[in-house]
Amino acid sequence: MTTVHPRRPVRRYGPQEDPAVAETEAIVQALSRREPVELTDDALRLLAALIDDVDQRCSSVSITPSA
Amino acid sequence: MTTRRISVGIMPIVTEGCVADAKTGVRLATRSDGAAHGDDLKDLTSLAVQGDRTAIESLLGQLRPMVVRYCRARLGRVSGQYHIADDVAQEVCIAVLSALPRYRDMGRPFASFVFGIASHKVADALRSSVRSAVPTQDLPDGPDEGPGPEETVVRYIEAEHARRLLSRLPDNQRELLMLRVVSGLSAEETGNVLGMSPGAVRVAQHRALARLRAMAELESIA
Repeated sequence: MTTVHPRRPVRRYGPQEDPAVAETEAIVQALSRREPVELTDDALRLLAALIDDVDQRCSSVSITPSA
Repeated sequence: MTTRRISVGIMPIVTEGCVADAKTGVRLATRSDGAAHGDDLKDLTSLAVQGDRTAIESLLGQLRPMVVRYCRARLGRVSGQYHIADDVAQEVCIAVLSALPRYRDMGRPFASFVFGIASHKVADALRSSVRSAVPTQDLPDGPDEGPGPEETVVRYIEAEHARRLLSRLPDNQRELLMLRVVSGLSAEETGNVLGMSPGAVRVAQHRALARLRAMAELESIA
């Protein structure tokens, strides 16, 4: 006799396959590579400003004593 | 953009100008052929450990811009300058150089070893917080082609705002965004520094960004 198991509910995706996670990964990847990103909200705009700030070239004063 | 670098022996000096190469560094660290690049870096590390001077110089040349950005993002400016952060970045590079002969490949990306050191150096700097005697810049001998004063101030204010919001995130989320977004590490490299899988990094960065967005939105309403 064959036992028929009730069908398990199908889990659509785990957190790693969540489309929102993938979308964030695409944004983070672009910011990380310094590629153009559409700054759609304040958080992204501020992160982009921070990146811009730490990447900027300033003076070339060396603080390391020369040999 | 030109970059001025002064070298003492084999150790590239971290000057503020060295970040001019930052964009190249990021691409090297996170380009899509990450696996191939990982192998390149692995080969380079292997040669550097054996004392190959060219490999050591090349390895530090690739890692240094990311370290500088990480230190700048974590430590911020003092008196409008990044001297302290750049000094700490220099210490990180020296520590990496000193530890190189004893480095053993345990299967983790070399970047995770470097950022492990960087994280400790930044924590030490934050603890000591000796923030005085800021060296002054040389007088420029040509026109300044950088952003004007207004743009500089706006950028400074927004960057400080970003740091303030990031400082309110839980430590692991803040560190993750600093490494992944600001320093330009891949999900795999970030995961190795923080002891997470690349998948967990992607989920955690999604949560961190969502939290950052919520905080920024709350502030804009208030």
